[in-house]
Amino acid sequence: MKNTSTVGKSNKTVMVLLILGLSTIIFPLYMTVVIAFKQPSEMTNSISGILSLPKVWSLDNFREAMEVTDFWNSLKNSLLISGLTVGLSILIHSLMGYTLGRNKSSKFYNFVYLFIVSGMFVPFAILMMPLAKQTAEMGLANWFGVILLYVVFYMPMNVMLYSGYLTNIPLALEEAARVDGASTWLTYWKIIFPIMRPMHATVAVITALAVWNDVMTPLIIMAGSSENTLPLAQLNFQSQFGTNYNLAFASYLLSLIPILVFYLICQKQILNGVVNGAVK
Amino acid sequence: MRRKGAKSLALAVSLAALAPFVQGCGNASDGRIEVEIVQYKPEAANYFKTVEEAFNASHKDIHLTISSPNDAMAILKTRFIREDYPDIIGIGGDINYSYFVDADILADISGYEGMQEVNEGYLEIAEALELVPVDGTYILPYAANAAGILYNREMFEEHGWQIPETWDELLALCDEIAAEGILPFYFGFKDTWTCLAPWNAMAVELAPADTTKQVNKGQTTFSAEYSELAEKYMALLPYGPSDPFAYNYNDACTAFARGESAMYPIGSYAAPQILSVNPELKIDSFVMPASDGKEGRTLNSGIDLGFCVTKDCKNKEAAYEVLNFLYADETLQKYIDAQTSVPCKKGNFQLSSLLDGMTEFIESGNMTDYQDHYYPSEMSVDALLQTFLIEQDKDAFLKNFDTSWQRYNRDIIRMVQEYEAAQKKAK
Amino acid sequence: MSKHENERKRTFLLITIPILALFICFNTIPLIRGAMYSFTNSRGFGSHDWVGLRNYIDLFSDARVGKSYLFTIKLALVTTVVVNVLSLILALGLNSKIRAKGFFRGAYFLPNILGALVVGYIFNYFFTYIVPALADLTGIQALGSSILSSPSKAWIGVMIVCAWQAIAMNTIIYISGLQTVPEDVYEAGGLDGATGWKQFKHLTFPLIIPFFSINMVLCVKNFLMVFDQIIALTKGGPAQSTESISYLIYNNGMSGGQFGFQSANAVVFFIVIVVISVAQMKFSSSKEEQL
Repeated sequence: MKNTSTVGKSNKTVMVLLILGLSTIIFPLYMTVVIAFKQPSEMTNSISGILSLPKVWSLDNFREAMEVTDFWNSLKNSLLISGLTVGLSILIHSLMGYTLGRNKSSKFYNFVYLFIVSGMFVPFAILMMPLAKQTAEMGLANWFGVILLYVVFYMPMNVMLYSGYLTNIPLALEEAARVDGASTWLTYWKIIFPIMRPMHATVAVITALAVWNDVMTPLIIMAGSSENTLPLAQLNFQSQFGTNYNLAFASYLLSLIPILVFYLICQKQILNGVVNGAVK
Repeated sequence: MRRKGAKSLALAVSLAALAPFVQGCGNASDGRIEVEIVQYKPEAANYFKTVEEAFNASHKDIHLTISSPNDAMAILKTRFIREDYPDIIGIGGDINYSYFVDADILADISGYEGMQEVNEGYLEIAEALELVPVDGTYILPYAANAAGILYNREMFEEHGWQIPETWDELLALCDEIAAEGILPFYFGFKDTWTCLAPWNAMAVELAPADTTKQVNKGQTTFSAEYSELAEKYMALLPYGPSDPFAYNYNDACTAFARGESAMYPIGSYAAPQILSVNPELKIDSFVMPASDGKEGRTLNSGIDLGFCVTKDCKNKEAAYEVLNFLYADETLQKYIDAQTSVPCKKGNFQLSSLLDGMTEFIESGNMTDYQDHYYPSEMSVDALLQTFLIEQDKDAFLKNFDTSWQRYNRDIIRMVQEYEAAQKKAK
Repeated sequence: MSKHENERKRTFLLITIPILALFICFNTIPLIRGAMYSFTNSRGFGSHDWVGLRNYIDLFSDARVGKSYLFTIKLALVTTVVVNVLSLILALGLNSKIRAKGFFRGAYFLPNILGALVVGYIFNYFFTYIVPALADLTGIQALGSSILSSPSKAWIGVMIVCAWQAIAMNTIIYISGLQTVPEDVYEAGGLDGATGWKQFKHLTFPLIIPFFSINMVLCVKNFLMVFDQIIALTKGGPAQSTESISYLIYNNGMSGGQFGFQSANAVVFFIVIVVISVAQMKFSSSKEEQL
């Protein structure tokens, strides 16, 4: 009894704090929405001016932003690239993470682990030129090349996440399957892979987000092709001598929706800690 | 079983992914000659789209593609490294052009007939951009921009303020404006590149046009040439907002558009952004008066967009045909209208009323290029200027300018001096 | 048993080889090719000369590069601490039994998705106009002018924006770490009277140490390589006080004509981060073993 009452009390404090913290997010979001609906002639440098509601609530900015970015086409490309990268990352990185996480006592695998993880620290600028050349030589100056590069770029971080997650998954689970005569490969796909579901969701969110917002890789690798991703198309709103913030904000709001939905789906999976039940 | 399943699934997924890309390539193989332009002004993307359409509609044998990407310089550089050259590139007359000429990427187009129609002033400017003199012409100057001071025409008429023609008149005008409780200038120095606008505009009257070249030859120093310029720049600051480094270009454009200042020292390129905030505003411009006398006045103007044919271009005739189309009076006029810019071609063009105060100089061909077109971007002279304006230490700034220049231009200076030595020997 | 061990070893090797090959092909090889440029005076295109170690010698006498290292390291250290403290608290809050959990988790994720252009505009506005106005109202003179226009304070603005954006990601990693803590640990702990801070310190935290070290490494790495926020917020100014290393490498190497020199900078920078991070990982894995 006593226990539950303290829990209830602390939860209220938590709620209050969470709501207070939320203001740091609501405020910028409010500004974004308001600006996305305004006309350029409504932009001012006064605070009351910028925080005021738009004179007319019209979807014209959104319509025009969709036209400028060739929205549906760009969206399709972005979804395709992000989706494939996430799928391949989950399959490949989890395998690598598993292999490295389960061989921490081996000098060789420890070296491979450090080798791959250190790839995370390579400044992209030094890779850009060589990669632009290399992908062109290999006939990969296209979407497929971009996806392949993403799988390599996010490998270090994801491998780190997966092998970190594995430390809390007992070896006993695999040994039980081994006694039944299952191969390591099969054991992995049957037992370990499903158990890592929360980590898959985490990896999916982190990878998808990084890919979704990335401009540099497609810009450099596919330079000269006419296909666009959303962030590439959104570059059209800004130039040194003038930026149409209203259209840009409308466009960014639109491109925010798919990834937010994806996150909301994934976070349910992050929540469903399967391990808890499985360990017993 | 499972293993096989996963593999074939992955295969199917990647094949499905590839399908749309395969379709994308290899279009328009209907026997027309392909000409590709990459131009670096994304703000002119709409204009170039209409040009592309009009050209393709009127030409049966050539198919033109124009792309106007953002960050075109990064795209061009990566394409050069892959040896995937567009036929024509549209770039500005700045240090990048100098580098491209030096890298032997561009074709000599002095044989192109349209060259005869270029305003000589801009041909000289283009010539001067070569790091060391090279035979031939490598750029067709298309449009120029001009920098000076933009002013609020209605405000000036209302108060009866006169356009200044000397430095003293400018300061007197500023005092007069300030006395009425109006801010004379707005600055957006948070964006460092805007620090270059007044600098360039004053430099054309206060420093030799070829200062950087003289320094490269070891004939002078920036400390000597830029001293007056730096001092006068500092004198402008009190007439701007109290903390000019808090505001960026966009803030300054908005403020000027809303009538928060009477003048804004920036280039003609700022007009579209200002007018987007306040379409009713009547803007005019005048040439920055920096020297004490009225003689030797000149307008700060440089090549904003020019077209270069790459060495790799397979069909020069087709490229020239495209240039002919772009350079036709009516095509160029449309560009000038859309971008409030100045044509680099001789002839009668209708200029924007925004340039009224500068027309006299433009028509007589009295203009001098931006100093910063000779500065290597990695030296970040704009940031050095911002630092100088914050710290107000002229000697430290000029000293730093001289030492940084030597450091960032080491290879160019060596090249120039080798060239000079070779020239002397030849004589 | 040994037959099984062999099968296991073989499987691991068969997994490792192709993935490692892919990694080497698109990460290691281009890195080596890129590093070659550091011995040239290349501008990134056209011809170039070999200049030996000149770029490396220049690097160590370049005040601007030195300044950017100091700024970047200061920013990375402070932001890492701030982000980890806040996101750990946030993760615990979002993981506790509260109402509208889904809503809160969604909302706190938002800063991560907003594009750099939007974030840059809004925070510029915030620091330039809103904070000084609030300072006027409340009479706090220190905040009377934009912190982004002050060479000594601008880094704080960058720090705030970096933290604001990064907290979401670190929180997710902490939350997924908290999922691996079995319920019965709390139940057992509850019997011993461990609640609140004590429970966290002795029960929860030791179990999520792997995630803590991942977050530390990711943070240090992300903030040492900070680029987007600099572009969005200050572009290196005022007075070159917020030029991060990545900003210099990109701006002068890619956009500018200093490709060879900045390649040398990138090589040195790479080595510096690897050393820092490996040390960090060694340190935290020794901590893990202690527990």
